[in-house]
Parts: sequence; C-alpha cells; structure tokens
Amino acid sequence: MTEAPPSRAHGLLTALFKFQSLFGLVAVFVAAVVLSPVKGGHLVFLGSGNLLNVVRAISEIGILAVGMTLVILIGGIDLSVGSVVGLASVGVAELLTVNDWGLVPSVLLILALGLVFGLAQGIASAKFGIQAFIVTLAGMQVARGIARMWSDGRGVSIVYGDGPRQAPVTFSLLGERTFNGVVPIPALIFVVVAVLAVVLLRVSAFSRHLYAIGGNEKAARLSGVPVLRVKVLVFGLCGLLAALAGIVHAGQFSFGGPNDGAGFELSAIAAVVIGGTSLSGGRGSVLGTVAGALLVGVLDNILQLNNVDSNVQLVVVGCVIVFAAGLQRLRPAAIRT
Amino acid sequence: MGDEGAALVVMTGVSKAYGGVRAVRDVDFAVRAGEVHALLGENGAGKSTLMKVLSGQVAAERGEIRIGGEPVRLSRPADAQRAGIAMIHQELDLVPALSVAENVFLGREPRTRFGTVDRRRMLAETRRLLARSGVRLDAAAPVELLRTGEQQLVTIAKALSLDARVLIMDEPTSALSPPEVEQLFAVIAELRAAGVALVYISHRMEEIGRIADRATVLRNGAVVAEFDARELTAAQAAEAMVGRPVHLMFRADSRASAEPGADVLRVENLVVRADAGGRPPDGISLRVGAGEIVGLAGLLGSGRTELLETLFGGGPGGHWSGQVLLRDKDFHPRTPRKAMRAGVAFVPEDRRLSGLALEHSVLANSVLSIVDRLARFGVVSARRERGAARGSAARLGVKLTSIAEPVGALSGGNQQKVLLGRALLTGPALLLLDEPTRGVDVGAKAEIYRLLGEIAGEGVAILLASSEPAELVGVCDRVVVLRAGRSVHELDTGSAGEAELLAASMGDVQ
Repeated sequence: MTEAPPSRAHGLLTALFKFQSLFGLVAVFVAAVVLSPVKGGHLVFLGSGNLLNVVRAISEIGILAVGMTLVILIGGIDLSVGSVVGLASVGVAELLTVNDWGLVPSVLLILALGLVFGLAQGIASAKFGIQAFIVTLAGMQVARGIARMWSDGRGVSIVYGDGPRQAPVTFSLLGERTFNGVVPIPALIFVVVAVLAVVLLRVSAFSRHLYAIGGNEKAARLSGVPVLRVKVLVFGLCGLLAALAGIVHAGQFSFGGPNDGAGFELSAIAAVVIGGTSLSGGRGSVLGTVAGALLVGVLDNILQLNNVDSNVQLVVVGCVIVFAAGLQRLRPAAIRT
Repeated sequence: MGDEGAALVVMTGVSKAYGGVRAVRDVDFAVRAGEVHALLGENGAGKSTLMKVLSGQVAAERGEIRIGGEPVRLSRPADAQRAGIAMIHQELDLVPALSVAENVFLGREPRTRFGTVDRRRMLAETRRLLARSGVRLDAAAPVELLRTGEQQLVTIAKALSLDARVLIMDEPTSALSPPEVEQLFAVIAELRAAGVALVYISHRMEEIGRIADRATVLRNGAVVAEFDARELTAAQAAEAMVGRPVHLMFRADSRASAEPGADVLRVENLVVRADAGGRPPDGISLRVGAGEIVGLAGLLGSGRTELLETLFGGGPGGHWSGQVLLRDKDFHPRTPRKAMRAGVAFVPEDRRLSGLALEHSVLANSVLSIVDRLARFGVVSARRERGAARGSAARLGVKLTSIAEPVGALSGGNQQKVLLGRALLTGPALLLLDEPTRGVDVGAKAEIYRLLGEIAGEGVAILLASSEPAELVGVCDRVVVLRAGRSVHELDTGSAGEAELLAASMGDVQ
C-alpha cells in the first residue's frame, strides 16, 4: 500500500476525539470558574473544600462507572448495579447492627456477595447466551427484591458504639475526611479504584483479551482468547465494585436503605458514554470515564452554586450526554469501509 | 446499442479522499453498453472506491458522471438506482434474519390489493431469478443459514432483479465453486447481449481473459493502463497493477524435493453428528506430514470449512466418531484455546467477520494469541509486545506506517498477512488455512505463497482449504477432495493438474 502518511492535523484530530472527555472536562471546568459566585474575594468553586466535595459527590457513581466501563468495553451492559448498591447498603447495615458482626467480616461478605452476584449474571449471559441487557434487567429486580426482604422493607440506621446492635466506630470513617480533614474518604476510595483500573487496563494480558472481545468477539475466540472466562470475570468485577459503592453509600449516610441506588446504573452509564467509551464495545478507557464522571460532577456543582433548580440540572446533563455521543460520530474514519 | 463506440457510463476527472488519504484521483473511466469492462488493481488501488462513487454510496469530491450522455448527481444509493446502476458488493449486504426472497425484494416488496406484502409473488419472482442464475436455493430460507458463497449468489440474484442498465460486480466469484462460476458467466453473457454495461472487478486473471472485453488498471487511485482484455496476459496485467514485473510462480521450487516428515495430523474416518448448521464431517480421512502442504478441495457445501473448524475446536460441537491424532496423540479440542495450546493455529476464511478487530491496532491484532504468554504474573511487557508485532510484520512483509495504526486501514493483502502472522506467533505444529488469499491482490498473493513454502520448510504441517484450483495445484503437495462431507479422492499435484482436480470435485471420478 502506498498511501500518504496521515497528516499531523489528522493525528491531532484523532487525539482530540480520543480524549474528548478530558477536553470537555477542562472546558466545563473553565466555564465553572467563570460562572462561580464570589464570596469574600474568593471564587467559591475553586475552594479546596468545594472541589473535593465535587469528587466526593461523584465517588459512588464513579466507582460504579469504572466497573461499567469494563462491562461496556466487552460490548455488554449491567443494569443491576444500582440495585446491588441498595442490596450492599442494606446488607452491610444489617450485618453491622442487627447481626453485630465485626467490620471486616461484614464488608468482606458484602463484597463477596456483589462478586458472586456479578459472576452469576456473567455466566447467565456469556455461557447461556442470554443478552446482558436482559440478564441484568432481571438481576436489577432480583437484587432489589433481596434488599427489601433483608430488612423487611425498612431502612436500617447505623448507630456507632461498642454496645449490642451498634456498629464499630471505624465504619463511620466513610463519612469523614482524612489528611488533616481535607480529603473525603469516599473520594479517596474512588481515586484508588480508578487508578487500579487504569493500571489493569494498561498492563494486563486480561485487558488485551477484554478489548479484543469488544472489538470482534468471534475473532477473539478464534485467536485463543478464553472469551467465556473473561466475560464472566468482567461481570464479577462490576458486581464487586457495585457492592463497594453500596458500602461507601451506607457509610457516608450512616444508613442502609433497600431503595438506595435506584437509577445509579443510568448515571454510571452516562459517565461512561460522556467518557467516550463506545457502547458497541472495544473502544474506550477508564480515564475517559473518570473524566466523564468529573464533568457531570462539576456541572452539577456549578449549577448548585448558582442556585439553579435541580430539575434544570437533569436537562443539562441529558443534553451533555447526547452532545458527547454525537461528537463521537464525527471522529475521522480510520478504517476503510 | 447499435453504435459500438457510444459509452453508456462516462466518468471524468473523479477524485475522492478519505480523511486525508487520496483513494481515487482524477480518474477517467468509461463503459459501453453491451460491454464487460474489467477493473483491475491491487487492493487499495481505488477500484472499490471508484465503484462506490458510481453506485452513489460515497460522493466524489470532484469530477463528472454521465449516464447515457446525461450528467447525473449520484449523492445517494437511491440516485444510482434511479439511474439504473446496481452493484454486487464484495461485502455482503444482506439482512441475516430475513429470507432469501425478502432480501431480494428489500425495500420494494410487491404489494397485494390491500397494500400488504404479496409474499406469494415475492417467492415466485425470487425462484424465477434464482433459476435464471442457475442457483438451487430455498427462496424462503433465512439468509443467515446460508454459507458465504450461497449468500453471494443471493446478492447476484438481487442485482439481477433490479433490471439495471449498469451492473457493477465486485469480486463476484470469490466464494463461488467452479460450476457456480460457470453459471454466473452464462448470466453475464446474457446480460451483455441484452446491452447491459458491466463492470467486473476480480483478482482472478483467467476470468478476465474469458469474459471481459476491455480492462482498465488502477494503481494508487489513478488509471495507469487500458487493455483489450482478450489479448491481455496475466503477466502484463500484474505488471501494470504492481508497477514492476511480477513472477506469478507459486512456491519456491527448491522445496519440491523435500520429503514429508512424520505425520503431524492423522484423521481416520471422522464423523461428527452436529446439532446445528453447515455440513459436518461425515467420513473424512486424511493425513498431513511435517513440512507438507495438503490442500482441501471441494465445492461449496462440501464441508471444507466445517472440517477445519472441527479440528480447531471452533465448530458447533457434537458427537464424534472416528479418530483424530495430533502428533500421535488423541486430539479432540473443545475450544480454539485448547486447540491452540496443543499446537494448532487457524486462519479463518472471512478476515473482517471472524479474523480481525478492524478498529484495533495492528499491534493488538498481531499479538492477541500470545499476549498471555508474553505476560509475567498477568502483566504484559509493552516492549516484548511491540517486539513481537514488529518482528511478525517484518517477517511477513506487512506494509504499514506504524504498528499503532488500525488494522482496518491496511489493504486486504496486508490484513491477511497480519492474520497469518498472528497464527505463526503461536509457533504451531499444524497450520489450518481457510481461503488464505481470498480478496488478496496478485502481489500479496505471490508473497503469501512464498511464505507458506517457507513455513512448511520449517517443518510445519499445513492444511489449506481453497476454492481456487490453481492455488491448490500450485501450492500443495497433495490435495484431498471433499464431497458432501466425505473425503472422496486424493490427488498428487506432481502428476495431476487443475482439470483432474475439478473433475474430482464435481464427481466425475469413480
């Protein structure tokens, strides 16, 4: 083939689209700075307390979105994560208070529960060939049902202390800040999860298999990729992260509610889409998702700071999703058709 | 029609670029009514793009198109259809879940008085069209149950149903068996006599010589030569396409003397009772020795592809009887991964559908089969990964600007080399190839043949399924002929030629 090498402008354009959510984040950030209310000569938006609040506010959705990115990269979807948040939230509250379990066994059991729930969905979808959309739609109902049965439909308040039916005080750290009371713990957990996922997707053989399945599943199978194993594991990881988000949720509010997390799955999918990951699989990144989640967080924050009605916020975020997805369609075609 | 010189289609100064890459530049191209005009060129030379412009699928940036003397604007496929232009695509554009008849009449279904789809007329019309192109297919069968070649026949019937004045055929025979090719040629002759202007794209030189009147050669998006097709030799055409003299020899002759080594693969009376699709092996025996290239011949539906898939653990599965020995050990792979671990590699028939992730980089596609071997504790060294991909690209002579570019941006021949390279990186003892040069241009074809000879020279056993008799006879040491899932004949290519092979495939040999 004797083609002219792609021009520099073309390469730049490709990079721009590849990291569109990062550029979008910068743009929204700049807009937020401009629109920020001023208090005592300082921009409220740029206060470190406020910025960390943004990260804290998106930490649960962010953790979910990381897991969702993996699932979407293999061309799947997981609608159950919101319900699993509710299940984990109520479950950890019950175990810590009603059952008087210790902190470590409670958390481990709930994480294992999320993992197993995800693995089961993965098996149903990958082994028996039921579409992920359907399997996880069912999983969404099942997890919500179990959550309500667990607490008889009531929310469980978490009271801290050493007495019976009191949770270990350590668990309340999830509502606290660390590093001299600056960094919210949930934000820290989100950052750690995101960094681990970025590293996993960058260096592991597992990630190569994952992307290949999303790119062309049949080709991956014929190249010796253990398609079934990878898919099941990805759903397992997504369930595990959903359980983690649920635990964080219960800790932040000292309350485990069986209806918690309703609709979180859609917010997580929104963050993934804004982050530039293709819903058809094989293309995207966790870094994009993190930027997508932050973008939504900053947007919400600046609208709140300006006392914009929360319903208007929904409309704005909706428009951003469509805009981001539309932008992806403009990507220069890299392959012959 | 009476005026021999009158051109029905005249394209003047047509240019088109994709994202900064010029696919076609300043091309003049004309086709007369009642003429078969061959369009030649390596993959990436711009043939498909030029024809997509003519069929309204992509808009040209510059240039003029006249049909029957009238300037036309072809910005949408519907424009082209209205102008009487139809195209048979190399990539099949059928809706898998719909029936043959529904596909043929997609978007222009005959109606009853009540405005509902007239299914009976649609089926009858389709049967008539199929019969006209000599195809034995159930008009009511869903297209997804048909094999690639059969689907191609459906697209041909569909194009015929349009009663086009201009018919473009992009490699219509690439998945057809020899008798089906003959049938198609008969149809083409009929159309030519009826005054249809035909554009015929093919990599098979012997076809061009037989049916084309004129030939235009494209190179790098521009017209470089025009020939009288009846006097065109394969060597002339190849030279014009590549831009330098090409030796169309198949494999290094030095290999011919090599004695085959111990049997790597031995299949004894293999019968698979599969629950779904295709034609599973129904009594196949063959053996492939180390360093030997054995061909698998047979018509469409003879079970070539299914045999390879079964041997690679990629088939639908089912109950086996008979025996398969790989290096003298019982071999019954249930997944491709297990087959690969046992030392088998496979290059599938359709590289777009089941070979490559087109949007992913050459790097990712090249090393996919060995990434977990390159990893230590699950962590892949990017350096080793790049090394392996570069080594593979260099060994196979893949032409690319960078291993980071999407594999879909490469030409067909280079894509095929990436695929072959991936299989070789696993270090196989047995290499299974399904149509390894389908849709590959002459230059790349010769290189692939040379590579196969080289690989066999290193002691790898190769089993090669192909529908091109010339390829089987030219490349293989022996050819096993399949018919209806059974191995019915074996030919030594040292003494038998293409004619014997064809005869055996069609059943003229006792």
